Amino acid sequence: MFNICLIAGLIYFYTNNYSYGIWKMALKEDLKKVIVEGLFLEDIKPEEIKDDELLFGNESLGLDSLDAVELVVQIQKHFGVEIKNIEEGTVAFQSINTLAAFIEERQ
Amino acid sequence: MQASNEKYKKNTQTWMGKTVGAEWQYNIFYFLIRCGGRRLAYFLLYFVVFYYVVFAPEQRKKTYFYLSRRFQSRDIFKRFADSYCMVLNFGKTLIDRAITGIMGDQIFKVKFSDKEQLLKLQKRSNGLILMMSHVGCWQVALYALKVLNVPVNLLMHREEGNVDNQYFEQAGLSNMFKIIDPGGYLGGTLEMIEALKNKEVLSVMGDRVIDVTQNVSYAEFLGQEVPFHYSTFKIASVTGSPVVVLFSFKTGPDSYELKIADIIDVPENLGRSEKVFKPYVERYVKALETFTDKHPYQFFNFYDMWNS
Repeated sequence: MFNICLIAGLIYFYTNNYSYGIWKMALKEDLKKVIVEGLFLEDIKPEEIKDDELLFGNESLGLDSLDAVELVVQIQKHFGVEIKNIEEGTVAFQSINTLAAFIEERQ
Repeated sequence: MQASNEKYKKNTQTWMGKTVGAEWQYNIFYFLIRCGGRRLAYFLLYFVVFYYVVFAPEQRKKTYFYLSRRFQSRDIFKRFADSYCMVLNFGKTLIDRAITGIMGDQIFKVKFSDKEQLLKLQKRSNGLILMMSHVGCWQVALYALKVLNVPVNLLMHREEGNVDNQYFEQAGLSNMFKIIDPGGYLGGTLEMIEALKNKEVLSVMGDRVIDVTQNVSYAEFLGQEVPFHYSTFKIASVTGSPVVVLFSFKTGPDSYELKIADIIDVPENLGRSEKVFKPYVERYVKALETFTDKHPYQFFNFYDMWNS
């Protein structure tokens, strides 16, 4: 009985984690698509953006302050998450990873 | 575009946000305003301006960037008179805004015949973007915007020595006006969006190019191509807020007028190319040029925006 419970628990744990991982990966892929399409980036494909690549500033993806304006609106439109102020923006706009974590936290 | 920006960067004289005159010199005028009001301050101003125009040729030359394009064929005496008029008017606006700060905004009569139009626009919009310029006395004019009953967010550098900051600090107007620093994180864009989301007013200076390497579009102004930022129109496109081109001008010793020159609605999803925003920049520049036709000595430009 104990063994059955253990196996069921493990299956539940791994399935949950697995689907969570899949969901998070899909979220990041969606984010990359939104960035490329929503911001009208022509020289880059979604799959070329790395999860930990800086979005703004030196040695980054090369987004500028006006892209940030568009990004705020696109995030709200596609994920229903509002970036309300500069504090939230500073945290969220570091990379795909931080943006995904921000969205996950607020969805 | 990038190449031309690079070239421009090498040659251009970037506006630094500094103001002529030391703080103690401004304090003399503040003292005179407190003692004798506007007339006494104006009286001293006539001599101070004469001194600057005659004995400070480097200051006088700063007026020529604009005046030589606005009045193309002028002899030396007329050019001198033009400089005097321009600097005198500028001095008067500095005094006027100091008076407003010290004695209150009731001192000046501000005629704003487009008030109803602006109120209607405010009702139907997600915030308002006011595109102001360095014309007339925009600080005095902003008081007329009290009718909107929302905070006004001014996009301006927080630099030491900038008399605009001195004014707002000394006048204790931080409650009515909020300053957004374009030198802040992501150029202050997140703060701008936040303000517009809250249906507040965002006031930007359309005629001041802070960084010619970023987000500029070239438009012909007084016969020559000049870079102007198109960022405001991008923000308008994304947020759906209309851009109201607003000019103020002095109409008498104690009166100003505020006029809407144009209302620019920018469609959504225009993309990120400079070309798509160029027509809107040109509309603003056209309005500015019309203003300089009507009020040639009330456009206070003291740097070489044409990069001749």
